[in-house]
Amino acid sequence: MGEYFKNIYKAIVTILIGMGVTWRHLFTRAVTIQYPHVKRELPPRSRQKLFVDIDDCIGCFQCARACPVDCIDIETVKAGKEEDLGETSTGQKKRLHVVKFDIDLTKCCYCADCVFPCPTECIVMTPKYEFSTYDRFDLIEHFSAYSAEEAEKLKERDRKEKEALAAARAAKMQAAPKPPSSDKPGPSA
Amino acid sequence: MKKDNLPAAQFEVEVPDTLKTEEMTLNMGPQHPSTHGVLRVVLKTDGEIIKSAEPVIGYLHRCFEKHAENVTWHQVIPFTDRLDYIASMNNNLGYVIGLERMMNLQVNERAEYLRVIVSELNRIASHLIALGTYGLDIGAFTPFLYVFRDRERILDLFEEICGARLLYNYIWVGGVAYDAPQGWRDKVLQFIDYFVPKIKEYNDILTYNKIFIDRTAKVGVIPADVAINYGLSGPSLRGSGVEFDLRKDDPYSIYDRFDFNVCTGKGQMGTVGDTWDRYWVRVAEMYESAKIVRQAAEQLPEGDAKETVPRNIKVPAGEYYMRTETPRGELGYYIISDGGKTPNRVKVRSPAYCNLSVLPAIAPGVMVADMVAIIGSLDIVLGEVDR
Ligand code: SF4
Ligand code: SF4
Repeated sequence: MGEYFKNIYKAIVTILIGMGVTWRHLFTRAVTIQYPHVKRELPPRSRQKLFVDIDDCIGCFQCARACPVDCIDIETVKAGKEEDLGETSTGQKKRLHVVKFDIDLTKCCYCADCVFPCPTECIVMTPKYEFSTYDRFDLIEHFSAYSAEEAEKLKERDRKEKEALAAARAAKMQAAPKPPSSDKPGPSA
Repeated sequence: MKKDNLPAAQFEVEVPDTLKTEEMTLNMGPQHPSTHGVLRVVLKTDGEIIKSAEPVIGYLHRCFEKHAENVTWHQVIPFTDRLDYIASMNNNLGYVIGLERMMNLQVNERAEYLRVIVSELNRIASHLIALGTYGLDIGAFTPFLYVFRDRERILDLFEEICGARLLYNYIWVGGVAYDAPQGWRDKVLQFIDYFVPKIKEYNDILTYNKIFIDRTAKVGVIPADVAINYGLSGPSLRGSGVEFDLRKDDPYSIYDRFDFNVCTGKGQMGTVGDTWDRYWVRVAEMYESAKIVRQAAEQLPEGDAKETVPRNIKVPAGEYYMRTETPRGELGYYIISDGGKTPNRVKVRSPAYCNLSVLPAIAPGVMVADMVAIIGSLDIVLGEVDR
């Protein structure tokens, strides 16, 4: 019986101690903020949405290769001989049209592995975190400066050039005597 | 294992022969607030008493090991973040130290200190979650909010040093990704000054609460030999009174330079190895971690912290088993390299998985409500159980 009342006494005392803690908290300032109205200032290193300064991009694919989830999709077209694409702000010569530079933010894991290898420091993570959309395809960010038609035109030109080059090579091959190894059947054939 | 090692059934009920009874199979989870994720436990119950419990896992399987075989050595690090997502720094650390030992790499002093600081801060953050959610399981809501308030400060510190709040990708082979920004060290010291008195607050509100003690003491007792036989590690093992901590017993990084104690369960409130002991070990470890952080931050040398190797590393052919002490226990990476650019195999020995395996052994004879207390006290993270 004594044990029973002792237990009740202990329970009440320890609850009161706990209540004391909560009571003291009534008089401290709230740590929460009213989010959509009040926003936290994020530190400059904060890793949120990616941003690509496409004017500085030389199309070197370093970032796409570093990405562990393959969410950067780049397509480039070689600049013509007489074309001058200018320089990046770090002074590198641009030799490629970056006709496609898409980052799939639904796949991105915000690991920042793509940021470090970029030679021109044009791909960066920004502290911008509010980019939810109604359509998930809106989360594929297009950074390329070329419109779809322009990109198509450039790619068409590239294809034609390559075809011409291949034709020229084929013609050369025809003219030259065939290397002996090319018409031998392979060991597994 | 001998059967009589197992704890005696904690509730004995006498059922008269005339009473018609029936065994019931009950699925606890996968969507259950107190299984800490998507864990399913198949319970065979006799009324309120559990006859057997069998954990069913795999709902969160993300093929870590398969992914690791297909990306470069460096690209595995973001994947290790996602094993135990509330203690990512510790996961990074084990993998990276394993690679460094294979490559015979020396790391700058400053980087070593920063690594210890962030891992111990992460350990505190992880134990805070363990405390809060354990209170929540038992039915105490307030402590949960208090620990999240303080954990938030740790996450703010992390956000400042590496930009991410949860999945850091911070510890890199040969160093760390970013050096600490100006004034970060003082903020860490300020946090420790703020935090240590707060632990008393948790004790007042939860640890020594009579109701909490009644719900947790003498429940789910794991005797030391059972704990060892099932390969338990971390606070779950130390709760059973076994003094085993890899930071002391197999020191890695620079843990041998700091002064801290290994906390074990003493059975203050009931039996050694009960759920209260496991809970208490986590509380005590927060003091110790705070001690380590303070020492490391005070000694933090100047210098370079950035990684010293190119990012396309090649690891010499061979194999290595690296084990580190994460908040959940012994996290082991068994790394096999064939000298190429990608790992041949990275096998993870997950502490949460091994800790969970003891459940069928201690569940028979406890009440369904105590099952919640037992699962909570093992502090599993399903991301790591399923990988
Ligand atoms: S942040 Fe990581 S996942 Fe996202 S694009 Fe860069 S490398 Fe890929
Ligand atoms: S690494 Fe930089 S320059 Fe190279 S493709 Fe990516 S964004 Fe462009």
